[in-house]
Amino acid sequence: MGGQPDLGRADLLTMLAELTTKPAAEVPDRIGSMELAWLVHLVEQRYDRQLDLTDDELAGIRTVDDALAVFRASLTAPADG
Amino acid sequence: MDEVLFAGRPTDICLRLPEPIDRATLHRLVTAAQDRLVAAGLRPGGAAALRLPPSLAYVVNLLATWRAGAQAILLDHRLTDHEVDRALARLTPQVVVAPVRSGGGALRIFVDVTEGVSGYADGPAVSGHAVIQLSSGSTGPSKVIGRTAADLVAEVRRYTRIDGVALPGERIILLPSMVHVLGLVGGLLYGLHAGVELVPPERLSGDAVLAAISAGATPATVLGVPFHIGLLASTRPTGPLPQFRRMTTGGELVPAAVAQAFTDRYGVPLGNMYGMTEVGVIGTDLHGSHRPSILPAPGIEVRETDGELWVSCPASPYVGLSDPTRWADGWLHTRDAGTVDPATGLVTVRGRLDSQVSVGGMKVDLTEVEATVAELPGVSAAVVVWDDGITAYVQPDGPLSEETLDKLLAERLAGYKRPRVLHLLDSLPRTTTGKLVRSTDALRSAATP
Repeated sequence: MGGQPDLGRADLLTMLAELTTKPAAEVPDRIGSMELAWLVHLVEQRYDRQLDLTDDELAGIRTVDDALAVFRASLTAPADG
Repeated sequence: MDEVLFAGRPTDICLRLPEPIDRATLHRLVTAAQDRLVAAGLRPGGAAALRLPPSLAYVVNLLATWRAGAQAILLDHRLTDHEVDRALARLTPQVVVAPVRSGGGALRIFVDVTEGVSGYADGPAVSGHAVIQLSSGSTGPSKVIGRTAADLVAEVRRYTRIDGVALPGERIILLPSMVHVLGLVGGLLYGLHAGVELVPPERLSGDAVLAAISAGATPATVLGVPFHIGLLASTRPTGPLPQFRRMTTGGELVPAAVAQAFTDRYGVPLGNMYGMTEVGVIGTDLHGSHRPSILPAPGIEVRETDGELWVSCPASPYVGLSDPTRWADGWLHTRDAGTVDPATGLVTVRGRLDSQVSVGGMKVDLTEVEATVAELPGVSAAVVVWDDGITAYVQPDGPLSEETLDKLLAERLAGYKRPRVLHLLDSLPRTTTGKLVRSTDALRSAATP
């Protein structure tokens, strides 16, 4: 993972806090398409690689925990090229 | 329509998806689509409902509808079947255009769509407008908004007179949906009219926006909503971007820290626009020199009445029942609180006076969300408020899980309208006379065990 520590739930909450200007402790667990796009973008910036996600994978993400599971799976898959 | 939108050279590139679509190709696609719409039953004076995601198919069918002398009803592709069915029943289009297949991958801004056309009703359009848009729901007065062809042309020409818009031969990196007014008129129609290339980034990420900017040599203006400023502000550019000319956003107010982070990183002007579905662009500050204020666009008058901003609008934009507190005597009552500086004419928007909120640039009426929640089976009462996000407090009339509630709402409300936080309470706080309490503080404490 490019020398970065493993992605954790707290990381995603911090990223969402930045978007919603709420403290991380008050970030809602339920996320919509905008929050999801934001998370994908910041995770990609952090690991300096594109997450290879399908429409179906994204459509199945309803909560922070769902997102974490999908991102982790994508990050542990071999990078393209 | 052809003289306004198709007047340029046939070889000029209109769209890069990323494969270039020139004016002659677009014209050919539009003519073919027009034949399909007519074959499916569209007649001059009728209406076609477009239920398409941002796509070449959307652009082509929209222009084809107008060329056929018909009205285009724009339905956001995120609306649920429930929401679409209600809109169609009210607006009775002759044909409905919807995807039969779509693809292209996740987080796409422009989608590959193969569309299908089906017949729906058999009568004229409900009004003489060229385009119909829905403002958060289709029921109740002043929810269905129409714009005439003359009004759309006037707005396109207004754009050509605003200092700081992308110029002929330049590019617009297009992020907002072309189903809504900023992307539709400020992006698509202005771009086609002025000879500005429209370039949707390959996907919704900061890297993809920067890649779109650097993919061409001509000056590029990024058009978006405040969410996209944050996206770019948090992206590390991999090299210089001499083509990047400006970023312009519409929608809600931008937090000063986000604007500063963007400017520090890119050093280009961050322009601001204020507009509404009813009239299009109202005012701009494309050089970012009056932030957060804007100067009225050419030909637009803005005045302040009892703390509310009113905008000149010769005819009521509402279809069917028009609420006289929304439009009267040539003035649109914006429901935005604000001030107009008598010396400079600068307009400062201070926020909404009603229950509308902005979610990523999309207007959502909390009254609609609350009514939808309250009508669900198993719900006896509900209050929906904005608490840094759409938040619903629900009093069930029997056993009801959050999961069930979420599932029922997903069938009835587009994702961007759905509550991010649901609180199930045995009883909602009420006043001594039995009215539901709407104070966020009181609701929060009622939800704290």
